[in-house]
Amino acid sequence: MKHYFIQDSHFGGFLSKMTASRNVIAPVAKKNKFVFDKPESPEEIRLDYDVTLLPPKKAIFPPKQDLLSFSPEGARSGIAPEPKILFGVHFYDIKAIDMLDLLFRENNEDWNYLAYREQTTIVGSSIQNVSKRAFWGSVGKDVQPKGHDAFLTKIGGGYLYETLTGKGEDLIQFGNFQAATPAQQAEAEKVNNEILARCPEKLEHTTKAIAEKVRNNFKSPVWEEMAKTCFSCGTCNIVCPTCYCFDVQDNWNLDQASGVRTRSWDGCLMEEFSKVTLGFGASENFREHRGDRFRHRVMRKATYLNEKLGGPACVGCGRCSAGCVPDIADPVAIINKIMEG
Amino acid sequence: MSTNTHTGKGKEYPNIFMPKEAVIVRAEQVTATEKHFTLKMKDGSKIAFEPGQMLEISLMGFGEIPVGFASSPTRQNTFDVVVRSVGRVSKAICALNTGDTMFVRGPLGHGFPLKDFRGHDVLIVAGGIGLCPTRSFIQYILDRRDEFKRFILFFGARSPKEQLFLDDLSQWRGSKDVEYHETVDKSDETWKGNVGVITTLFGKVKIEADTRVVICGPPVMYKFVIAELKKLGIPEENVFVDLERRMKCGIGKCGHCQINDVYVCLHGPVFRYSDIKNLEEAF
Repeated sequence: MKHYFIQDSHFGGFLSKMTASRNVIAPVAKKNKFVFDKPESPEEIRLDYDVTLLPPKKAIFPPKQDLLSFSPEGARSGIAPEPKILFGVHFYDIKAIDMLDLLFRENNEDWNYLAYREQTTIVGSSIQNVSKRAFWGSVGKDVQPKGHDAFLTKIGGGYLYETLTGKGEDLIQFGNFQAATPAQQAEAEKVNNEILARCPEKLEHTTKAIAEKVRNNFKSPVWEEMAKTCFSCGTCNIVCPTCYCFDVQDNWNLDQASGVRTRSWDGCLMEEFSKVTLGFGASENFREHRGDRFRHRVMRKATYLNEKLGGPACVGCGRCSAGCVPDIADPVAIINKIMEG
Repeated sequence: MSTNTHTGKGKEYPNIFMPKEAVIVRAEQVTATEKHFTLKMKDGSKIAFEPGQMLEISLMGFGEIPVGFASSPTRQNTFDVVVRSVGRVSKAICALNTGDTMFVRGPLGHGFPLKDFRGHDVLIVAGGIGLCPTRSFIQYILDRRDEFKRFILFFGARSPKEQLFLDDLSQWRGSKDVEYHETVDKSDETWKGNVGVITTLFGKVKIEADTRVVICGPPVMYKFVIAELKKLGIPEENVFVDLERRMKCGIGKCGHCQINDVYVCLHGPVFRYSDIKNLEEAF
């Protein structure tokens, strides 16, 4: 691990050189929001973003991905990753990607994810502006961000650049970096610690207490009650950095002879998610009611995966809270309600 | 040409979604909606599976569906599947015939833990197309009959017309190796046997409390059969259920088959009842 410093006046040059020679995905403005995308110019990169609409997992696990292609000659694997730099990722999204790394690796290695992950260099960045629904300061505090290659922190006069891997160290060549002083390192640590207290929303209980109480409330009427105004639209799933459920569909090309088998993001809040057709016009939906599906998401985030991940499968980004039209998806509101009940 | 891997930047990555081609050596329409296929791997390889395991079968351009192996690994170099024509993929697969090929991916999941059954009485309770995945175990027991004690088989269908594996059924009816009992929910003019739901068969035969039991059928059937087993004093650890859920990936990732925190495709589809009875979403 090494610590470097780069002055504000040199930072633009670093971004220019890096984006000129590498495939970079970074936060850029889209109207009055932010998205992770390929910047058209280095000036477009906005490290002062609060949160992006979709999480950066999309650079590794895209909304639509061809698993294989087929033609009359047979089937061909679609795995063909290109090296890329995922730049400016906030710590909560780093935590989420680290969770996906484990989940796609465990039991059966899925290289349709892992290969793209392997080819991705992740450069984190400190949070300069806090989004309105963020609660990353109080969720899963025992889980540290890891798996990234470098981390940038905005401090007085420039940025502290901490390298954690060779891939992170490799980017030094693009900028006028110098060794950071102990004072600059201390300042960066202070910046990253202080921001944690600035979240507008807060969980009031420990991960363990939440996991136990939420699980014990499985049969509570509270789920159906909270889900009353749910549209089953799945937005909370789609914007979530730790959701990884998917659907698989085949599609023909225009020639009607070849095509692709594609996976696309799916969501357990959607009505058809667990529905099977039994034949004779009958079907069975194993999570038929809105409350069943609403509960499943919260259970997944707060309890089911905790043992495996060392903490909740929620990183506090607040995207689900902000994206939910009836505003009922906010994990803080849901969990605090259960804890107080 | 089928290829398992893709060379990208000098590195080959395995693709767990890549299926292999299998040739249909026999295809028979067994009911109005079910078709029975016997398959052989096109490249001559064998799938090393256990009774109760599943595979994904597919047709390129249509998609994949999960099915249980409907034959025992003890039989030949082929394997059977039965497909109920209900959706886009299953309809396309059911249009295939002998000599056609389909794609297969597997084996997937966990089957029947054979060591739990060896040396004991076995009761299999199969409802409707629940007979298909259990047939892999039925054949296995019949092929290795000495390894098991009494073998009782209950089969219930909605009507005589919906009975599957008619050749098997007539063989089992006259067999000394299996105590076969059957019923239909609704009879017709051809039917001379039992009429009533599958639990009505429990009164017809003495079942010891030490019996190992398999249940596979429509979702509604499980709780009624389990109630009967309880009356017989059969411990929950000795009851195995073969569950069906919506599945896409078959490898414990896509999330569709989850029962609480359990993935049916990964941890099942065969579960020890005592292991999952407390999962609120299981039954």
